[in-house]
Amino acid sequence: MFMRFLNHLEEWIITFLMGAATLIIFFAVMHRYLSGIAIPGLQDWLLSLNFSWAQEATIYLFVWMAKFGAAYGVRTGIHVGVDVFINWLQPKNRARFVVIGLLAGALFTGMVAILGVNFVWDNGAHHVFYKLFGLNMEGLTEGPVTPDLEWPTWIIYCAIPLGSSLMCFRFLQVAWNFVRTGELPKHDHGHVDGLESAEADALQGAKA
Amino acid sequence: MNGLIIFGLLVVLMLTGMPISIALGLTVMTFIFGFTQVPLESVALKLFTGIEKFEIMAIPFFILAGNFLTHGGVAKRMINFASSLVGHWYGGLGLASVLACALFAALSGSSPACVVAIGSIMLPAMVKAGFPPRFGAGIITTSGALGILIPPSIAMVMYSVSTNTSLSGLFLAGVVPGIGLAFMLGVTTWWRARKNDYPRMVKASWGQRWRALRDSFWGLLLIAVVMGGIYSGLFTPTEAAAMAAVYAFIVAVFVYKDIGLKDVPRVLLSSANMSAMLLYIITNAVLFSFVLANEQIPQHLADWLVNMGLGPIAFLLVVNILLLVAGNFMEPSSIILIMAPILFPVAMKLGIDPVHFGILIIVNMEVGMCHPPVGLNLYVASGITKMGISELTIAVWPWLATMLVFLVIVTYWPGLSLWLPHLLLK
Repeated sequence: MFMRFLNHLEEWIITFLMGAATLIIFFAVMHRYLSGIAIPGLQDWLLSLNFSWAQEATIYLFVWMAKFGAAYGVRTGIHVGVDVFINWLQPKNRARFVVIGLLAGALFTGMVAILGVNFVWDNGAHHVFYKLFGLNMEGLTEGPVTPDLEWPTWIIYCAIPLGSSLMCFRFLQVAWNFVRTGELPKHDHGHVDGLESAEADALQGAKA
Repeated sequence: MNGLIIFGLLVVLMLTGMPISIALGLTVMTFIFGFTQVPLESVALKLFTGIEKFEIMAIPFFILAGNFLTHGGVAKRMINFASSLVGHWYGGLGLASVLACALFAALSGSSPACVVAIGSIMLPAMVKAGFPPRFGAGIITTSGALGILIPPSIAMVMYSVSTNTSLSGLFLAGVVPGIGLAFMLGVTTWWRARKNDYPRMVKASWGQRWRALRDSFWGLLLIAVVMGGIYSGLFTPTEAAAMAAVYAFIVAVFVYKDIGLKDVPRVLLSSANMSAMLLYIITNAVLFSFVLANEQIPQHLADWLVNMGLGPIAFLLVVNILLLVAGNFMEPSSIILIMAPILFPVAMKLGIDPVHFGILIIVNMEVGMCHPPVGLNLYVASGITKMGISELTIAVWPWLATMLVFLVIVTYWPGLSLWLPHLLLK
């Protein structure tokens, strides 16, 4: 139950971030050109809008998308490595290397998650949480904010610990499934939709 | 010495089959932890700031644009248009496949997807028309690689990001070699077909051509949106990519009606999946090149090579061989991200033009995708043609040889790539 929820949440987040970033840049560009055209009423309204934050927002949306998408990618098997040599090995030895690879992934993402937590903590989160709970704030300073949106950077940087720990979890999950069932997720790079109907049409065309 | 440790570590980790991004990351961690005084905390910051550049964001946008148009319906339109233009010459369906691949790959941005899409429509049609299966398989495998040379190209964004070369210059520089390579593959097809007297199609009337053009026009206009937008100064490359994504969405959903609105989240998700994977490699490759630069390895390498008296000609030969070998193990994005930061400073020292250097790397990547024993296109083609890799190897050789000849031409004739950007950007 929790797993299903987590899977959906992950998919939903990255789908949303991808779409949102595209729309923001699209509207920012449209805004730039449309506000130059003198249409009464519309122009005044457009000029009153400010899109200078669009570029920065897109970057952050995409960085978040990248961190969570990388975790999703572990589940779909899109992160590929050099498998030429391990494919030569006996199935049993090959399986050992696959597990080593997955655990290495968990190790690296786990390390990054810990580094990320420290980093976020030192970048302003420490100050915010101590202030929130009325703890001793001696020697603590507020963290920096982003240039355009003026959001605290520690919130933005939360993408690293959150995304990386999710990714670590996914590596362990895939490794566990592999040990138990011997199955690995595999991404099909050559997948194209709508080919069945296109083939049928082409054959129809050839006959006609 | 440190260079040897870093590369030794990377190679060992990569050979265990772990994801390339993880191998890069662990190499950096181990090296920083064990051999230097660089604080480990700087790694966390780099993991975020490594991709905190607006230029890099062109990659997800271009992938999204490509995914909207990676559809059997679009492939069919490109095939109809291509067949109506060149179908009546020798090896008609074969020539049409080359052209259709070039067009479809440029739009979809994915070589394997192009092999599958054009291949699964064209191969049965060619076999039915009386072509031997190997002929079609050879064409599809090699022509599918054309996509990364014809803009918009994600591999070029990768090169531009990792070497700070102008992306608009690279896109323009890819046009002439892209057309040139498609032309040479076409000539090889035509020559083989004429020698063996393969069937030709009935010549299409101008009316049919017009209808086929009208049908494929909306898709092809994407290239014009990107190129026109960038060179008229309307958009930055990243903005052009975002506009291309919105444009591709409108064409796919409202003009071609290949996909419905309910399919859009699925396209967004699969694009996000692909982009996140590439961005993750970029992040770790940035870390890796940060460590290399910190140890001044590219500079040492450059000095050493120059002191050995290595000229541009010998250097480019070495680069090509090195990249062709690397092409056996990795896909283009990883190779560019790992190798470009090392080779680029040497190339600059030898006075090679950055844009020209990028184009020759891209052409090299194309060859790498289809040359045996392990090119990605070969594998995908082997799946749809039901041929083994060894049989495909025999099937692709005429076109592969053509590509190698073209690689030599691109490498030693900078004017071919640089003519158009010099004409338009100066």
